[in-house]
Amino acid sequence: MTDQLTTDPTKPAQRIGAGSLTVPLIPWVLAAALLMVLPFIFTANSAITIMNQMAITIIFALAYNMLLGQGGMLSFGHAVYAGVGGFACVHIMNMDDFFAQIPLPLLPIFGGLMGMGLATIVGAFSTRKAGTVFAMISLGVGELIAACSVIIVAFFGGEEGISGDRTYGMPFFGVEFLQQIEVYYLIAAWLLISAALMYLYSRTPLGRMANAVRDNPERAEFLGYSARWVRFFSFVASGFFAGVAGALFAINYEILTEENLNTTQSGLILLATFLGGVGFFFGPILGAIVFTLVQTVLSLQTELWAFYLGIVFVVTVMFFPGGLAGLLMMHVPAMRLGKLGRLGVPYLKTLGSGAIGCLGAAGLIEMTFHLRHASAGDHSMTLFWITFDSHTILPWIVAIAVTFVGLGIARRTAPALAEAWNEANTPDGAPR
Amino acid sequence: MDLILVNLIDGLVTGLLLFMLSAGLTLIFSMMGVLNFAHASFYMLGAYFAFQISLYLGFWMGLLIAPLVVGVLGAGVERYGLRRVHQYGHVPELIFTFGLALLIEELVQFIWGKNQMPYATPEILQFTAFSIAGNSIPAYKIFMIFISIAIFIGLLYVLTRTRVGMIIQAALTYPKTVEALGHNVPLIFMGVFGVGTALAGVAGVIAGPVLGTFPGMAFVLGSIVFVTIVIGGLGSLWGALVASLLIGWITTFSKAYNLRMEDLLTWLGFTKPEPIWDSAWRDLWSITSPQIADILPYILMVLILIFRPYGLFGKRDA
Amino acid sequence: MTAALELDGLKKSFGKTEIIRGVDLSIGKGERHAIIGPNGAGKSTLFNLITGRFPQSEGHIRMHGQDLAGKAPFQINRMGLSRSFQITNIFPKMSVFENVRCSLLWSMGYRYNFWSMVGRSRALTEGTDRILDQINLTARRDLPAGVLSYAEQRALEIGITIAGGADVIMLDEPTAGMSHSETDYIVELIRAVTEGKTLIMVEHDMGVVFGLADQISVLVYGEIIATGTPEAVRANPKVQEAYLGEAMEVH
Repeated sequence: MTDQLTTDPTKPAQRIGAGSLTVPLIPWVLAAALLMVLPFIFTANSAITIMNQMAITIIFALAYNMLLGQGGMLSFGHAVYAGVGGFACVHIMNMDDFFAQIPLPLLPIFGGLMGMGLATIVGAFSTRKAGTVFAMISLGVGELIAACSVIIVAFFGGEEGISGDRTYGMPFFGVEFLQQIEVYYLIAAWLLISAALMYLYSRTPLGRMANAVRDNPERAEFLGYSARWVRFFSFVASGFFAGVAGALFAINYEILTEENLNTTQSGLILLATFLGGVGFFFGPILGAIVFTLVQTVLSLQTELWAFYLGIVFVVTVMFFPGGLAGLLMMHVPAMRLGKLGRLGVPYLKTLGSGAIGCLGAAGLIEMTFHLRHASAGDHSMTLFWITFDSHTILPWIVAIAVTFVGLGIARRTAPALAEAWNEANTPDGAPR
Repeated sequence: MDLILVNLIDGLVTGLLLFMLSAGLTLIFSMMGVLNFAHASFYMLGAYFAFQISLYLGFWMGLLIAPLVVGVLGAGVERYGLRRVHQYGHVPELIFTFGLALLIEELVQFIWGKNQMPYATPEILQFTAFSIAGNSIPAYKIFMIFISIAIFIGLLYVLTRTRVGMIIQAALTYPKTVEALGHNVPLIFMGVFGVGTALAGVAGVIAGPVLGTFPGMAFVLGSIVFVTIVIGGLGSLWGALVASLLIGWITTFSKAYNLRMEDLLTWLGFTKPEPIWDSAWRDLWSITSPQIADILPYILMVLILIFRPYGLFGKRDA
Repeated sequence: MTAALELDGLKKSFGKTEIIRGVDLSIGKGERHAIIGPNGAGKSTLFNLITGRFPQSEGHIRMHGQDLAGKAPFQINRMGLSRSFQITNIFPKMSVFENVRCSLLWSMGYRYNFWSMVGRSRALTEGTDRILDQINLTARRDLPAGVLSYAEQRALEIGITIAGGADVIMLDEPTAGMSHSETDYIVELIRAVTEGKTLIMVEHDMGVVFGLADQISVLVYGEIIATGTPEAVRANPKVQEAYLGEAMEVH
């Protein structure tokens, strides 16, 4: 084991991000270029709306992962820091004289400071412990602030929330942010800045110690660092970027309500972050993208999207705790050995048929749901572009057959895939 | 005076109901170090199962069968879900139970839909037990109190007087030693998880008819239960009892008596800013106790955590 | 001259049980001091008291004349005292390099710095590599610490302990569970890296103790029954009776 690993000692280091002196620039340049051209590829208004939401979610998820992935702190109430940042920004939008003097692109700084301020207050007592205690406090404080939103009407606007108008700000080089596309570029710029700052933060002494405290708080204390203060600073930094995300939400939607603060919102960001994978910096980015797509695109197709998401989430926690990013990074050793291609056909056989089987199962679920809950007399339903009568037997037979055949093939071919996997991860010539 | 008595009874009902949930949660937590986020979801399942059973076999069979089904389901979750996630550590365990809570809520909506179920108290208990100064106390409330107290006494008996209880208590403090003595600790864990969730199921069965059986019922009660065991001190059964009753009474009383912040502030010597609708403090001045009744537990929790981080009766943390 | 470390009437009780029953001890600067004693004598507890892991029940602990009472482990560490653990206590998921680098951060003045890149500091990288070289783990530099062999992890543990440049080093059973050749290796390592520093260690292996220490204290049932040079302790009849009897015959 050890011998095999030492054959190429430099490689794992990059994975852990330990020794390299330089910060890799290429991914960032590519990301910037991609953000530039995306609106030219997806020109529809709805696409831009989705991309805006996606970018905001990415910032929020990255901020969340500063806690969960890097600091080992599980928060059930992180939406309040984003939400409060957003509320503050709407209030600034409504302060006519003041808002007329600051350009809109600077507004997220105020949101960030607001989130940071709140995080400073809460963190002062919540970061004493990590683990379960921290999680419970975060939940309690989150609930408290969310509940306050209906009482403190002056700030939170009660049930209907508060709204503002972003275009009253000082024009920024002539841009007044009337168009959705202008807002897109504002958000994209902030996405790039925030992501870069959060990445760099993870490379600072404090960022490294956050990892150390996550893994072994006691040892960190005997190295001169107070685990509590390290957690506190991570918490405050995370609060800042959550506030930035909230501010961008305020700019994009121009309205904030109780929904931006509540536990559901906090839960969703945990879901997105964990699905993407907490172990790697890009995990939350992946998670936020997939999650936003599910939330916006899949939810148009089926009422049951949250049910499917719940299943996927539980399966992820149970079987792939590394999330999507973890799954992707599992392929790095095979790629290094130049054997990634050998997995293609087995993947197609097993995962392809498995996916078909899952779609069949989803079909069954949809039909059951239709049978139970559609209004009386409504027998026709549309599934995968086929319209049929859910009260006849044929569609059921088809769906059951697809499910069983698909999953059956996946099961039969799984050993071959495992074999191919082992093969692809073994250097040529090495004893098996 | 009479009103106080009525509110005492109402608060007791709420508190004991809360205790049935927090007792199971505390037991599971002190045993396995896991806070079961989905605990209130099992409470919801209890209500739904009992409703479904009551359609065919009546309320009483529901009270009997539903908790058993919930308990078996809970044991299954421990055996096939939690035990697997356990190897990754406590935080993934917590995330798992969180995901489970989401999934159960969606599942309930999938099966029963989004509307409230017409789950009602049994006819035999639909009468007024007695009345105090014109306030009638329904028999069902008395029934709830009796069930909760009976369960509490039963639990206390099992934990302190039986062999199983001794093993559980020992396993709480020294799981490794108990395992070395030849006891099947994983089986005990599964059993405790099953019993804990079954308790939540009982709570659901008897609370469903009065508090409503709808997909959001787990969410409504869930976070309050967590707050309860944090206030009581994580892992302390007595703490859970005291905190449950405390919260039950605090919320009931602050809803029953319309205490106004205005009066308090005036009494403290502040003058009301005029005109009030234009003041930044208008929300503070207009607060009334029924308005904040539901967030009082959270405020209490934050205060406890600041001044007594281990809770009222807690000795240790996670 | 003030002693590097001074214990004065130190007591510690857990519940009703008194584990440390009044320890007086003075350890001079640059001394290599071994604390020996039978199992359950309270050696590890003594370590935990000095390093701030537990609060003492009574008495004083002074380092370079400063009282350590009520100080947290990280504060004591910042005053120049560093310790290793009996059960290997490293950051298993981080690389060997990072393990050592983390222990250099505070002493190199980075504190809670969040504006400079750790990778950019040549001094930090070189300092880390120097420690890695000292503990002979350069070849393992970029592996996750969790995959190292036991002896290597023990060496890393010592590396982490000394990296911060503390002048009082406390090692808790550095050779526990090691084979003969591994023990020899670690002893040489300890000798080299603690050159010019005050060393306090708990050790069971008498070969190690008599090879390394120039002062030995014998702790029995929470009390020190003898302190002195190895020869004096070896000759002390009380020690012979209480503890060393059989061990001495082997040597």
